[in-house]
This record gives sequence, C-alpha cells and structure tokens, in this order.
Amino acid sequence: MLKVDNIYKSYVGSGVVTQVLNGVSLEVNRGEFVCLLGRSGSGKSTLLNIMSSLLDADKGDIIYMEQTFRGMKRCETDRFRREEAAMIFQFHHLMPYMTAFENVMLPFLSGLRPAGKEQKTSAYEALAKVGLAGKEKRLPSQLSGGEQQRVAIARAIVGKPAILFADEPTGSLDKANGDAVMKILSDLNKEGLTVVMVTHQRDYAAYAHKVVELSDGNVDSIKVKSA
Amino acid sequence: MNLFTIPLKNLRRKLLRTAMLTLVFSAGIISVVGLYYVSATVGESLEQKLTAYGANILIRPHSENLDVSYGGFSMGNMSYNVHKLDMDTVHDGVMSIGYKDRISAIAPKLLESSSVNGKEFAVVGINWIEELKIKSYWYIDTADHEPHGQEPESLPETAEMVVDGLEHGSEFGKYDIIAGNTAAKLLGLEKGRETEIEGKTFNVAGVLAPMGTDEDRLVFMDITALQELKNKPGEVTFVEVSALCSGCPIDDIVAQIKLSLPDIDVTAMQSVVKQRMFTVNFVKNLVLVISGVILVIACFMLAVFMMASVAERKSEIGILRSMGYSRAKIFCLFSFESLVIGASSGLAGFAAGYFTAVKILEKMELTDGAAVHFEPAHLLLSVGIVCVVSIAASVIPALKAARTEPASAIIRL
Repeated sequence: MLKVDNIYKSYVGSGVVTQVLNGVSLEVNRGEFVCLLGRSGSGKSTLLNIMSSLLDADKGDIIYMEQTFRGMKRCETDRFRREEAAMIFQFHHLMPYMTAFENVMLPFLSGLRPAGKEQKTSAYEALAKVGLAGKEKRLPSQLSGGEQQRVAIARAIVGKPAILFADEPTGSLDKANGDAVMKILSDLNKEGLTVVMVTHQRDYAAYAHKVVELSDGNVDSIKVKSA
Repeated sequence: MNLFTIPLKNLRRKLLRTAMLTLVFSAGIISVVGLYYVSATVGESLEQKLTAYGANILIRPHSENLDVSYGGFSMGNMSYNVHKLDMDTVHDGVMSIGYKDRISAIAPKLLESSSVNGKEFAVVGINWIEELKIKSYWYIDTADHEPHGQEPESLPETAEMVVDGLEHGSEFGKYDIIAGNTAAKLLGLEKGRETEIEGKTFNVAGVLAPMGTDEDRLVFMDITALQELKNKPGEVTFVEVSALCSGCPIDDIVAQIKLSLPDIDVTAMQSVVKQRMFTVNFVKNLVLVISGVILVIACFMLAVFMMASVAERKSEIGILRSMGYSRAKIFCLFSFESLVIGASSGLAGFAAGYFTAVKILEKMELTDGAAVHFEPAHLLLSVGIVCVVSIAASVIPALKAARTEPASAIIRL
C-alpha cells in the first residue's frame, strides 16, 4: 500500500547540518498496524511526516498505491491528505473556539458548499465510536486531555481514510487514557484501517503487526508479529 | 457549515478584539464619510453663495482699439468697428450651447448717460429678475413699494428678491428705479418719491445701501424702459452670465458661447472664477488627502492585526494543512476574516459618518441653501471600497499563512 524507498532527510540550523534519516526503507501493507519505535531524535516523527506528505524528503521517495510523492503536484498531496490519509498528533491540536462536533466536522469544511446531513451524521458516529456521544457540544476546554485526544481521533477517522498516521498519540496522556486511545486505534485497525504510529513506549508497540525500530536515522530492525 | 465557519467562529471567539478593531476601522470610515458629506454640502452651499456674488462670464460687443497720437500729443484710445449687441441674439446664443443647463443667469445691461432730475447721470438698464439673481449681495432699502408699470405676466411666480434683508415677493416694475447710495445723495432721490428721467416720471423704488463699488454712483432702471427712452430697442452694452456650479467647465462654456456668438467678445472673469473654484476644490482635495491617509492607516492597522493573527494561529494552519486544506483555502480563510471586519466597519462607519455629518452641519449651521443627500450608491461604493481595502490589507498576512509549511507549524509546538 505504502512504500518508503531509501529516504534521506537532513535539517539545517544555524549553519549546522543534522542528518535525520539515512536511507530508510520499509513497506506498509493494507490493514497493517505499523509501529515506528525509537528514542527521541531517532528520526521517527520526521519519517512519519514524510510518509504523510507533510514534509519533503531530500532523497528517496514514498510510493502510495503505485504513485510516487515526488511526482505529485502540491494539490495532489493535498488531496492525498484530504481523501486518503488522516493524522493525529501528540497534542490534539483542536480548534479551541469550536465544539467537539465542529472540530470533527473540520475535514468536511474545506469547501464553499455547506456540509450535508450525511457528513453531520458521520461526525456524530465518529464521536460515538470514540466514546464521546453526548459531549458533542462541549468546547475542548470543557473536555479532559484523554477526551480531547479522542476528539482528535474522531476528527481523523470521520472522512473514512485509508491510512492513519499517529505521531505519539499517547505522549501527553496518563496510562489509563493512553490505554484507552490505543484500544481505539487497535479497534479501528481491526475494522480495516491501516495505522502507522510513532511511539517511544515499547508497551504500545505490542498492538502493532510490524515494529520498525529506528536508531540515528537508520532502520535498526523490523519485527513482524506472526498472525 | 462551510469553509467560512472557521473565520467567523474565530472572530466570535475574539469578540472584544474584533469589536475593538471594527470600532477603530469604523472610526476611520466615519471620518472619511463625515468629511465627505460635510465638505460636499458645505461646498454646495459655498458654491450657491459664491454664485450669488456675481457673474463669471462677460459678453461684450467686439471692437478694435487704436492708440491715436498726433504731433507728440496722445489722443487716447479710439474704438472702431464696434458691433452692437442685441439682447435677443445674445440670449438665444447663450441658451443654444451644450452646457445651457449650467447657466443660472443672463443679465443684460444698457449703460447710458441720461438726464435725471435735470442732471446728466449714468443710468444702467437691467433686467430686474436676472440682475437680482447675481446681485444677491445688494441690500435695497425700499419704501412700502408697489410696482410701477409692472406687467405681472412678465415675472415668474417664484421670483423673490432680498429686500430689507427679508425674503418676500416684491417685484420691480418698468417705471421703477433703484438708486446707488451716492447717486441718491447727489440727485436728491428718496425712496417712495417720484423723479423725472429724460422727461418721463419714474418711481424711486429703493436706494442701495453703500457698498464702496461703482454701483454706488449709478441709477438702475428697467432695461426696456431705458431702451425706449434712448430709442435703442433691443440694444445692450454688455451682458453678464453666471454659470458657476459644481465642477463647472467655465472654459468650455466660454468656448461654446464664442462659437455660438462669433462676432462678440466672450471672456471668463478668470480671477473670480479661479478663486471660487480654488476654494471649493481646495476643500474637496483636502478631504481626499485626509481620506487617503485615514484609509492607509486603517489598512496598515488591519494588516498588523492579521499578521499577529497568523503568527498566533500557526498550529491551526498546520492542522488544517495536514487535513488537506490547500494553500488557496488558507488564503481565503484569512482574507474572509479581514473582509468581514472591513464590511462591518464599512456599514457601521458609513451610517455613523452620515449621521455625524448631518449633526455637524446642523450644529454649525453650515447648510445654507444646501442639504445632505443620502445616496444608496454612496453606501454601496463606500462599503465596496472598504472591502477592497481590507482584502488588500490582508494579502501579505494571508499569503504568509498560506505558505506556512504544515510540518514546521505542528513540530514547532
């Protein structure tokens, strides 16, 4: 489904070049739960951003359904993120002035045409799926950290994406809320959603079918859990 | 819910800040609209007043002058080839031009020396109605005057003149005269008395208050009466034409009259015209400059606000970009936010500016003869301009927002 082919990436800051990824290659199959594991600074978040087309690689390519990112125009990568992929982050990044329902509706608001009844139903369903039925009208400030992250998950899945990129989704949560979020992601994966998750918590790597361990911008190991 | 729900919700979240910015932007628009209406109304009033202070085009018979001297003695200028002016020809000629609707008065004059109470004196034949249109500064001390020799149908019903400083329907007849202040003293003319001119009896309808001009030494009477006395039917010495109005193209009017009356000298009284126009145009240009400065300041203020808003909402931009919102959509979000502020400021500012102008004009009693006219087109134009200005102000911040790299915006946090 998604192939990472020999990706290199470096950052330049204050005249110093920091090599973050050194020829990383891996493959994500449809319906898989892939975990990118590694210490801070190992390059896992950078890799996830490149895989989700948020960041351009210096060298190498991402091939999604036979299409290379390098050959895509900006509008095509926008469409990829709008129609095929979804993202959640360590911090929920909800719009503080919009209710939980309105935040979940965001992926449908990118056009001038008003959102339809079907889309509103999808938003209610997504919120119900993450256990927030009845809290649709609450502002993020009226929700707990775990609930806010669940709203972010609902926002990610409302458009029924093919692949979900999750960057440290439990990073800012306590154990109970982290477990709850992981259970939701696991359930979504069981329903057929491909998940690529970045984490540094080995416990949560247990949910994945494939664990890719990164170290200093290189793939250290790829462990595939037998079915 | 659609794309514009996001900026609208954001504006509502920052209600106080939005209200403050709208208020400040509106204040700029209030100044512009208020100044415009005050200046337009005062300008109109000023023009009316200036128009009332005389003519601005002079029509004279064409003549050639020759400086004559003999044996070292100068004998002065000799006029020759003088074309006589005919009242009807001049009137028809002036009223046939393209700008005839800009002509407010055509005042013919016949200047003759006549025997008044047995003394030779300068008498000017005038058309009472036309003359008083351009001589509203005349202050005529009248007796309880009844028109002498007046043919009622020759005066329009609306004809009103300033007599004793009060407006009433007093009319002067064919056998009425008005004496300049000095002339009245020299000739012993008193209001309400009769006097003889060229053997005919005339009624002294009034005496002009002293003005310190040539008019103090003249006697004014009906032009047809003087033409009959002098046996010069239809003849006039010169004609004054008043054509001052908003943006009057005096030079074009003069050119058209010249074309219409080729053998006659037509001259614009340039200094007077220019002075009047300068006054009116100065006020208008001043308002234009002030309006421009205010709009530029408002524009910068909005741009600064939008710039701060973009910096503050970088993570939001990053999230929206990660959801597939295109750069164009992000640009639209910020432009729309600016447009909403601009449109609401435009509407509120126009309404308040119009109201302010009306109140200022009322309080300062500046609307002599002129009134504030509300034009819906002005409202649409003002709001339209403000919308364009507000969008222009948001271009740089909106572009900055659109060019934000999603990954950097999210990682930054």
